[in-house]
Amino acid sequence: MPGIDECLLEAMRLPGARGAALVDWTSGLALGVVGESPGGDQEASAAEAAELARLAAEHRAFAAVGEDGQEGDDPPLEDLIVSNRDSYHVLRFVRTSFDSSVFLHLWLTRAEGNLALARIRLGEMAGRLVLG
Amino acid sequence: MTAVKATPTTPPPRLPVRDKAAAGERGWGGVSPMLTRLAAEEATGVLVRERGSLHLVDGHVVHAESPSAPGLELLLTAHGTLGAEAWEAAARATDDRHATTRLLVDGGLLSPGALELCHLGALYDAAYFVLAPSSTPGRFRYGVTHPIGGVRPVPVTALERETLRRRDLLHRVWPDAATDGTPLVRADPVAPPPVTARQAAVLAQVDGVRTAPDIARVLGRRAYPTLLDVRRLVSAGLVSPRPPTPATRPSPGTGTGTTDSVGTDPHVTDPDITLLKRLRDALEAL
Repeated sequence: MPGIDECLLEAMRLPGARGAALVDWTSGLALGVVGESPGGDQEASAAEAAELARLAAEHRAFAAVGEDGQEGDDPPLEDLIVSNRDSYHVLRFVRTSFDSSVFLHLWLTRAEGNLALARIRLGEMAGRLVLG
Repeated sequence: MTAVKATPTTPPPRLPVRDKAAAGERGWGGVSPMLTRLAAEEATGVLVRERGSLHLVDGHVVHAESPSAPGLELLLTAHGTLGAEAWEAAARATDDRHATTRLLVDGGLLSPGALELCHLGALYDAAYFVLAPSSTPGRFRYGVTHPIGGVRPVPVTALERETLRRRDLLHRVWPDAATDGTPLVRADPVAPPPVTARQAAVLAQVDGVRTAPDIARVLGRRAYPTLLDVRRLVSAGLVSPRPPTPATRPSPGTGTGTTDSVGTDPHVTDPDITLLKRLRDALEAL
């Protein structure tokens, strides 16, 4: 039964992980951080990642459409993947039964990281974080 | 923000004076000098301010409560995370050695992660209102602890920084604080812009009586994100704060020479004029 810190430390054990954070996308607040962040400033990274997550979560273009044409899930996304020349960023939305707006942010080096594995494991961690 | 490993950017905790100087340099010092001082002396107790209270343990904030923000109990029970009777049973069993939240986790009713997430959400939410500018001085009572128990203590500097950021964020969306506490009414623009699912739920609760914090409570949501949703809806022209009474609106120019009769006519429905009025209100609020 992990808490926030255990969850982030577990994410850091993934191959190629350089930094992990749990961020509230309403305001850009980092609720927990482990490891490094791209610019060296974890708060600034959290705020920027939050802005991206919020935009993606609020636009219908990316939402899954249910049978009646209405998206029911909040947020409607599972994860967001950003890749660049030397690294990957995986932003995994954490779904909770209570009101919240958080995602896990994992920063991986491209040389060692395994995107598919990271995506699956991050999803499992997000589930365990909330359900125990 | 709570760093798990000590990072080079975290100032040493034993040097609160330096902490304060750093906060001042970056413009964070202005929320509550009293709170800064309490953090520096690593105080334990409760700070009671005009709009709520902050509970401190060893200079860290462990709990916050405000009448404007739904409490942990409401957030956990509103959407069935926890049954109301489960919370009540835990609250009844709470004593000096067993905090309510500890009992819930130990009883397997709530995972530690869910508790941390929900509690932090509620803490920052209530603290936003507690740290709002107030007209009366705060009081601090030493040695008082809250039965709900500490979950994940938050440094005062992190809380102050976040509160200022939240203020700034609201201001950027729509620079009129009247939307935060006054009853809201729906506006019906000719071509309503699309809203998110969250905003649609907020919009459905706007009835001319409820304020943004009331809507948060009805929906079982945190109050600050609801303020933000409301300001976005106001900015989109879908909602407006209810004017106090139609007669008090043109009061500044009492008497002769009122030339802005178009602007004060409550029956104007021309979309261009409505837009201009909103623009004027926004400019005045800047």
